[in-house]
Amino acid sequence: MAEKTDFEPNIVAFLCNWCSYAGADLAGTSRIQYPSNVRVIRVMCSGRVNPLFVMNALQQGADGVLISGCHPGDCHYMQGNYYARRRFNLMRNFLEYLGVEPQRVRMSWVSASEGAKWKEVIEEVVNGVKEVGPMDQFKRRQLNW
Amino acid sequence: MVDVNKLREKAKEVVSRDDVRLLIGYRPGTYGFRARPAFVQGPDEADELIFTPACVNNLATYITLEEKLPVPRGQEPDLRKVAVMVKGCDSRALVQQMEEKAYDRDRILVLGIPCTGVVDMAKVEAKFPGVLQRGEIALEGDRFVLSFNGSKEEVPREELVADKCLRCRYPTPLVYDELLDEAVERFADDDYSDIAELEKRAAAEKWAYWEEKFSRCIRCYSCRNVCPMCYCEDCVLDRLQPQWMRRSVDISENTAYHVSRAYHLAGRCIQCGECQRVCPVDIPLMELNRKFYKDVEELYDYEPGTSVENPPLLSTFKVDDREDFIL
Amino acid sequence: MALKKLSKEKMGEVLGELSKFRLVAPAKSDEVVVFKQIGDPQEAFLDYGNSTVPPKKFAFPQTETLFRFMVGSPELKEKNVEEEGTTVIFGLRPCDARAMAIVDKLFSWDFDDPYYLKRRELTTLVGMACVEPPSVNCFCTSLQGSPFGTEGLDMLLTDMGDYYLVQSLTEKGEKLAETLSSQLEEAPAGDEKKAEEMARESEGRIRRSISTAGIPEKLPGLWENELWKRVSAACLGCGICTFLCPTCHCFDIQDEVDEGGEGRRCRMWDSCMFEEYTLHASGHNPRPTRRERTRNRINHKYSYYPNRFGVIACVGCGRCINLCPVNIDILDILDQVVDAQ
Repeated sequence: MAEKTDFEPNIVAFLCNWCSYAGADLAGTSRIQYPSNVRVIRVMCSGRVNPLFVMNALQQGADGVLISGCHPGDCHYMQGNYYARRRFNLMRNFLEYLGVEPQRVRMSWVSASEGAKWKEVIEEVVNGVKEVGPMDQFKRRQLNW
Repeated sequence: MVDVNKLREKAKEVVSRDDVRLLIGYRPGTYGFRARPAFVQGPDEADELIFTPACVNNLATYITLEEKLPVPRGQEPDLRKVAVMVKGCDSRALVQQMEEKAYDRDRILVLGIPCTGVVDMAKVEAKFPGVLQRGEIALEGDRFVLSFNGSKEEVPREELVADKCLRCRYPTPLVYDELLDEAVERFADDDYSDIAELEKRAAAEKWAYWEEKFSRCIRCYSCRNVCPMCYCEDCVLDRLQPQWMRRSVDISENTAYHVSRAYHLAGRCIQCGECQRVCPVDIPLMELNRKFYKDVEELYDYEPGTSVENPPLLSTFKVDDREDFIL
Repeated sequence: MALKKLSKEKMGEVLGELSKFRLVAPAKSDEVVVFKQIGDPQEAFLDYGNSTVPPKKFAFPQTETLFRFMVGSPELKEKNVEEEGTTVIFGLRPCDARAMAIVDKLFSWDFDDPYYLKRRELTTLVGMACVEPPSVNCFCTSLQGSPFGTEGLDMLLTDMGDYYLVQSLTEKGEKLAETLSSQLEEAPAGDEKKAEEMARESEGRIRRSISTAGIPEKLPGLWENELWKRVSAACLGCGICTFLCPTCHCFDIQDEVDEGGEGRRCRMWDSCMFEEYTLHASGHNPRPTRRERTRNRINHKYSYYPNRFGVIACVGCGRCINLCPVNIDILDILDQVVDAQ
């Protein structure tokens, strides 16, 4: 168990340009401290996030993935986050069915004014992944030739 | 069961039509109880056609699988219809393809065959191994009658029928120009009991289960190619730039492949079970597809391939879709 | 050639003894029989017909790293096959061993493939004769093979009921027999005759056949024949027939580079039935449809290979017939080739 408490997970976060990225930015400019495990990838909309991105992140060594977009109704492109919501509900259930703990694939709504919520979300995600430990189900391993 | 003479007569009539180019049906296979797809272009070829419980293939695949070479200068493309024989599940593939606007309804001519269930060829060959000479399978009442090597054997239907048929909700085709037999009442329903047990297991157990299966995969892509819904002209698996899934065969890439394949069928899989049937190393692919099928039905009250009017599941949404999983 | 006897109780001991090498044997994965590297002799499953996937991947891996590199650096770290150590493939069928002997010709032809040949040099093949032909679609006898065939094998085991008759066929086989000397006993007199009789009986039980005479010469003349359209009409373009074929040996070479620039160049099985197999960078594909691809598969096995190496690249294991999703049957195709005008 000692191993797990020392474990610092890698979280890949796909943030939409208009809300969540600005929210994370606000957390930074407001000097809100949040765990540094998260690696942010900015996309134009949460609806841009292809499930392949999630798979690929997990393959390449992410221990958890977060997709974050605007609250329903606030999407810059009107509907992108609604599509994303459907897509990721299915993806999450499916990965859980394969044996990937549900704590690893998360989704959140964070608006441009929610710097404090961003901190909470990240804490929740990081703690969740810490609980389940490193992702080693289908990480790309170096083959022994 | 459809009368074979009536079937052949109808086929002859159809392929003789000026606006029909080809009829896709079934003919006896090369050995044992097998049946194989037939591509009939003239009335004289129609005499081979059959329909028996051994006709397991989903012929809807061939509508989108056809390769079209560029038409030489001065020639017109052949725009005549393709006629296709479909069972209940196969017809749903056509519905789903048309729902996705893969082609126009008037490009195909559908001969519907109400289906009372096909056999699982693996079960047949396990029960009657080593049958080389052509044998026949027929359904009589609730028993399959297998005639081969001059003898006849009767087997209760449940013993040899394909698993997918035991939970078939649509035995009668949902789309057709002509129905070749009396419609069949629904004789089963789907309660997802086959995947319920796996769903309840702990994460580590689930992964142990799938790791064993996925590590067997040889990436022959038969599950993709046989699937009537896998008709992208340029499959993401074949792309090299960007290469989302590597060609190397190991547990990581195999998992990525199977997740992608199953996910691409979310809200599209029509439960014909072809992928699992063709898998040479017996990966239970339908258990993947059915997880999506179940979730889609439970979460979004949606059943793929039932109406051409339905919008495709993932290109639509409801404002009040569930979001209790969102932080 | 010394005949030995191995009683069945000692099989566990023998496998234990062989575990000091890289031991590959048929094993069950759920209900599917595949060849895999086994640690525990209990894993081996010797009461089998034939494996679904042939053991060719232990000579010619499905994915094989050739060398590693760092992007931007001229240095390469080459693969050293010797590190894999001595391998014993135990319990393979005579057709699969013969297939390896056939494929050897290709890999030592215009270029000596160091990876393949080194691995073959380090591999000992211990075959298991087919007392009963494993599948209804076996046709090895049509291709100079036999259920008791020894070509390519270093040692052949024959199930005599209570014990195995052990036949060392090559130097490697003799050496292996020495390693196992404490498990092997003298074979009863007359067993050689008995085994020959069993071989004849087993050959007699093979039910499918084709006369291959003249096919390699005839095929080139059928290039534009309409039979190819007919036999390929149902083809789905998947890789089952080629990936499960013990003699198919086509490969592709790709680089895989990880984040950070560390990469490897690897070769992986490819299939002539895949659309992008002959796809040119220009977008042109000289085999644009499944008709040309099917024609290529048959021509490669039954014409190009025999013309170049004097042997047909098919051993009659029947896998492609058994597992084709749409019942495309190579014997049916060859019958049509024979009948074609």
